[in-house]
Amino acid sequence: MIIDINFIGLIIASIMASAVPLILASCGELITERSGVLNLGVEGMMIIGAISGFALMTVTGSLIIAIFGAMLAGVLISTIFAFLTQTLITNHVATGLALTIFGIGISAMIGKNFVGIPGKEFPVLFEGLKDIIPLLGPILFGHSIVFYFAFALPFITSYFLKKTKIGLIVRAVGDSPESASNQGINVRLVRYACILYGGAMSGLAGAYLSMIYTPQWIENMTGGRGWIALALVVFSTWNPIKILIGAMIFGGLTIIQFHMQAIGVRIPVQFLTALPYVVTIIVLVVISRDSRKIRLSTPSSLGKSFHKDN
Amino acid sequence: MNTNLKISNVTKIYPGCVANDNVSLEFNSGKIYALLGENGAGKSTLVKILSGVIIPDEGNIYLNENNLKLNSPLDAKKNDIGMVFQHFNLFETLSVFENLIIDSDEERESLREKIDTIMKKYNFSIDLDIPVLNLSAGQKQKVEIIRCLIRSPKVLIMDEPTSVLTEQETSELFLSLKKFSEEGILIIYITHKLKEVMQLCDEVAVMRRGKLVSVSEIKNENIESLANKMVGQNLKTIKKKKAKASSDQLIKITNLNFTSEDPFETNLMDINFSVNRGECLGIAGISGNGQSELFQVLSGEIISEKKSIEFNNNYIGDLSPQERREYLMAFSPEDRLEQAAIPQMKIFENVALNNFKSSNFFNNGLINENKIKEHSKKIISDFNVNTDNIELKSQFLSGGNLQKLIIGRELITSPDLLICFNPTWGLDVGAINYIHETLIKINEQNKSIILISTDTDELLKLSDKISVIHKGKLSKIMNAEEVTSEKLGILMGGAN
Repeated sequence: MIIDINFIGLIIASIMASAVPLILASCGELITERSGVLNLGVEGMMIIGAISGFALMTVTGSLIIAIFGAMLAGVLISTIFAFLTQTLITNHVATGLALTIFGIGISAMIGKNFVGIPGKEFPVLFEGLKDIIPLLGPILFGHSIVFYFAFALPFITSYFLKKTKIGLIVRAVGDSPESASNQGINVRLVRYACILYGGAMSGLAGAYLSMIYTPQWIENMTGGRGWIALALVVFSTWNPIKILIGAMIFGGLTIIQFHMQAIGVRIPVQFLTALPYVVTIIVLVVISRDSRKIRLSTPSSLGKSFHKDN
Repeated sequence: MNTNLKISNVTKIYPGCVANDNVSLEFNSGKIYALLGENGAGKSTLVKILSGVIIPDEGNIYLNENNLKLNSPLDAKKNDIGMVFQHFNLFETLSVFENLIIDSDEERESLREKIDTIMKKYNFSIDLDIPVLNLSAGQKQKVEIIRCLIRSPKVLIMDEPTSVLTEQETSELFLSLKKFSEEGILIIYITHKLKEVMQLCDEVAVMRRGKLVSVSEIKNENIESLANKMVGQNLKTIKKKKAKASSDQLIKITNLNFTSEDPFETNLMDINFSVNRGECLGIAGISGNGQSELFQVLSGEIISEKKSIEFNNNYIGDLSPQERREYLMAFSPEDRLEQAAIPQMKIFENVALNNFKSSNFFNNGLINENKIKEHSKKIISDFNVNTDNIELKSQFLSGGNLQKLIIGRELITSPDLLICFNPTWGLDVGAINYIHETLIKINEQNKSIILISTDTDELLKLSDKISVIHKGKLSKIMNAEEVTSEKLGILMGGAN
C-alpha cells in the first residue's frame, strides 16, 4: 500500500486545526491566571463565543463582525466575572463555575433558532501554495487567519510575559498583589484587563469552533474543550510553549483515535476516547517535573481575592 | 539642600481603635529620627500614611512647605519619599532586576548602570539576575533600599528594618544609613528596639496607643527612660534563676535529616542534640535557616526516621503530632493564626482541637461541650487571657492573648517537653513578660523546653544551653552563660 505523502500532511493539518481552540483559550486563561485570577468559566465563555459568532454571521452575513462580535461577547461575559470577583470580592472558583453553567444555558437559549442552519465558508489563505510543496504544503497553507494567529499566540504570549513591561507587571500582580499595590500598581485594573483578555480569547476559540472548524451550531458544541484548556494551563505550569505542545498532543490523539475507531482497531472505544485526556496530562506532568521551576512560574496569589484596605 | 518634612494634626480612626490621634511631628534632613513605640502604638500607621498606602482621616503632610496629597504609594514616590517596609514588598519569583525595573521609567541599560553605581558606592553585592526568593533577608532588604535609592529620594523611611537581620548585617545597615544621612537624605527609623535607637539616631519620637508621647534628643535619654515612655509604666525585669544541673535525659535527636522538594524550604542536615529534664535549649538563627522545618520535624508535622527522635526512652520519629502528645510533648508553633489556632473558630473549639485521650472531650464520637467549656474557662483564668467570653472567635483575640491561650492549652496536660517557635513574635512588652515568666516556671517544675527563636535577647534570657541553626545545620551546643549576643550573631551569619 502506498500512502500518499500529502495524506499525512492533511492528517497533521487536521490535528493542528483541532488544537486551535485549545491554544486560543489556554493562552487567554494563562494571562488571566498569571495575574492571580482563576477563572473556571472558560467553557462558558467559549460556548458564548461560539453561539455569538454563529448567530452574528447568520444575521449580518459579515464574517468580520461575527469574529469580533464573538470576542466582544467573551469580553462581556468575562466582565461579569471580573465585576464579581474583583469589585465584589467573590470567590473565584464558585464564580467561575457559575459562569460556565450560565454560559451553557444562555447559549442553548439563544441557539434554539440557529440549529440546523448551515454555516458559511470561511476564507482560507495561501490556498494556491498547498499543492506545490509535498507534505509541508497542506500543513502550512490553506488555513484561516485564526489558525495562523493561534499558532503565533504562544510565542507572542511568551514574549509578552518575559520581555515587556506590562507582562512583568502582570506577573508581579500574580506573584504578590499586596506588594504590587504598595508599589503603586493598580492591581484591580490589571486583573480586570487580564480577565477581559482571557474572555476575548475564549470567545475567539468558541467562534473558531462554530464558524470554521465545524461551521454550524450544535447545542453544547464545545464539549468540554474549555476544561481541557484549563487543565493545559495548569499542567503546562503556566508556560505558553508547553501549552502548544499539550494542545498538539491532545488534538493529535483525538484525531488518531477517530481514525483507529474507523479502521476498527480492537480496543474498547471508551479507552480510545479517554486516551487523549490521559496521555496529554501524563506528558505535561513529565515535561514539567522540575519543582523549582514550577515554584517560580506558579502565580503565588492564584485564586486568592485581593482586597486593598485603607 | 535641606529637606523639611512636617506632619500636622494627622488622625486615622479604625473601627474600635484610634490608630493615630492628632499626631504632629517635624523632621529635618541631616539627622536620623527614631519613631519608637510598641506594637499597635500607631507608628506603622503613621509611616503608611507618609508613604501613601493609607489615607488619613484628617491632617496634612508638608514637604518643604508644600502640602502633599498622598493618595497612593505612587504619589509618595513622585514626591521623593522612599519607604522600606517591614514585610518586604518584593516579588519573590521575579529576578532582582525585574523587581527593580517594574516601577522605573528608565531603559534597561541605563537602569542597570545606575544600579551598578549605587551598589559600588555603598558596597552592596547582589546578583541581579537570580530570583529574589534565593536571596537572604539582608540581601532582600538591600534590594528594597536600592529600589528607593534609584529615585534619589529626599526622605527614606525604614520600618522595623532589623527584625530579620543578624548583628553584623544590622551594623552594615547602620553604616549605610549614616552615609545616606550625611548625603542629605532625611531618615526616619521605626523600631521598638531601644538599643538601636541609642546606637543610631539623633532624635526620638515616642508613640503610645496612637498618641505622640514625647519628642527628645537622644543625648538626653537612656534605655530605661525610653522604655518607660514607650510602655507607660515602670517595667520589672525578669531574670531566670540558674537551673540545677540535671543529667536525666528527656529527648535525644540522633542524625536527623530532612530533604525538601520545595525550593522555599531548607534541608536539615545531621541534627544531633539532647535536652535534659528541667532544661531549656535555645535554638537561635536568622529566620529561614531551617527553624520551621526543625519545628515541624520535632512536632511530627513532618515524619522522620523512627530512631532519630528518642523521647522518654521511646523512639517516636515516625509518630504524628497527636501521638506525640500522648507521650506528653506539647507544641506552640510560630504562626498563631495559621498553625496554632483556627481563627474562625471559637475559643473553646480551639481548645478542643488539642485532643488527647485523657481529656474526655469526646464521648463515642460526640462532642462533650460542657467538659470542653469548663476546661477552656480554667485555661483563661489560669493563664490570664484577657476575655471572659469563651464563645469569642479566636481571630478577635490580640496576639498576646491568643499566645497565652495557646500556651495554656498546651500546658494544661502538664507535658514533659514544650517546643515553642517564636512564642513572643509580634507581642507587646507586657505579654512578652508574661510568656517569659510562664516559660521560666515550666523549667522550675523540672519540665523541659526547646525554644526556637529569632530573638537573641529572649534566648539569652531563657535558655540554659544554646545552639545556632544556619542553613539547616546546628552549631555545637553551648552553655548559655558563655555566650554573648555578638557571638550568636557571628554564628547566625554562618561563620565558625
